[in-house]
Amino acid sequence: MKGGLLLLAALGLGIAAGLYYAWGVNPVSYTDTSPASLRDDFRADYLTLVASAYDAGGDLQRARARVALFAYADPGPVLAALAQQRLAQGWPEAEARALARLAADLQAASPSTPGAQASTPTPAGSATPTRTVTPVPSPAPTRTPTSTPGAPFRLLEREPVCDETIGRPLLQVEVVDAAGQPVPGSEVRVVWDTGQDHFFTGLKPDLGVGYADFEMSPGLTYTVQLVDSDQPVTGLTPGECTTADGTRYAGSWLLRFQQPER
Amino acid sequence: MKTIVRLLAALLVGVGLGLVYGWLVQPVHYVDTAPGNLRADYRADYVLMVAQAYASSQDLQTAQVRLASLGPQPAAELVTQALTYAVDHGFSRYDLDTLNLLAIALREAAPTAEIQSP
Repeated sequence: MKGGLLLLAALGLGIAAGLYYAWGVNPVSYTDTSPASLRDDFRADYLTLVASAYDAGGDLQRARARVALFAYADPGPVLAALAQQRLAQGWPEAEARALARLAADLQAASPSTPGAQASTPTPAGSATPTRTVTPVPSPAPTRTPTSTPGAPFRLLEREPVCDETIGRPLLQVEVVDAAGQPVPGSEVRVVWDTGQDHFFTGLKPDLGVGYADFEMSPGLTYTVQLVDSDQPVTGLTPGECTTADGTRYAGSWLLRFQQPER
Repeated sequence: MKTIVRLLAALLVGVGLGLVYGWLVQPVHYVDTAPGNLRADYRADYVLMVAQAYASSQDLQTAQVRLASLGPQPAAELVTQALTYAVDHGFSRYDLDTLNLLAIALREAAPTAEIQSP
């Protein structure tokens, strides 16, 4: 009996020693981790970097593969939310715009859309950086068609919106290019008596990649202007709408901008 | 003597069970890792993304901040490592050139240590 207890005690001591070694002294070392295991802030930085690289190179197929490492069922809204979050936190606008563009392009392109060509293996070269770089043709960009630089957008439509389902008065903006295609990443400035703000199209890709909105406060008058437009839209206040049973509520405004043909 | 052997055997079996449980069944689970722990291929791709963004923006400071997430090594060394990986694994010429441009920019920006003769 006593011997059995001693054996059990030794076994227990051994297990404790083994666990101490395995968990405390020499735990499994995760040196070869994947991006999916990154801490939240590093993950946000990583996704922003994916978007910046995409914004620079336009390789949607590669960007999609990089985002796929995080196994999001629908990465578009995740990236759009991240864009808004980083914009609110004061990160560079270019990063938010890149995230919005990637969100919109991922949303717009189906998985079967042919993206950039797969990387072609090249003969091994020197790993030492050299000053002379052999000129090579750049891969064809696959970016979503956007506006023609330089042509200012014009206000196409200014329409009051009475929609009970919206729930709060919004300044809704839709931006399309000369071909009628929605334009993501367009910066919209909104100014009122005591302040101003700005937002971008494409941050809500489920409502359209050229769409953006801003919540109005009752009693304030707003002026809206696209950064790429010389035409401010003034005098925007929450409208007066009435439901079928006579209840009054604040309405929204829908502003459509289009780039004229050159 | 026989008892001591039994106790030692039990102790060893216990240690073995503990190790199996601690390493295989329920290992320490890292969920909040840093970019510095990324596998070599992901590290190379991370550096490539930094280089791609730099190629467009020419913002070397942002590139250096991003590379700093990978660890305390000098940024130029990190890019050279990525370049070596890229060459070994058949990255495209375009990718190699992109990395190369960042490596050159970092080397040019690095303060040169001058050794003064007495």
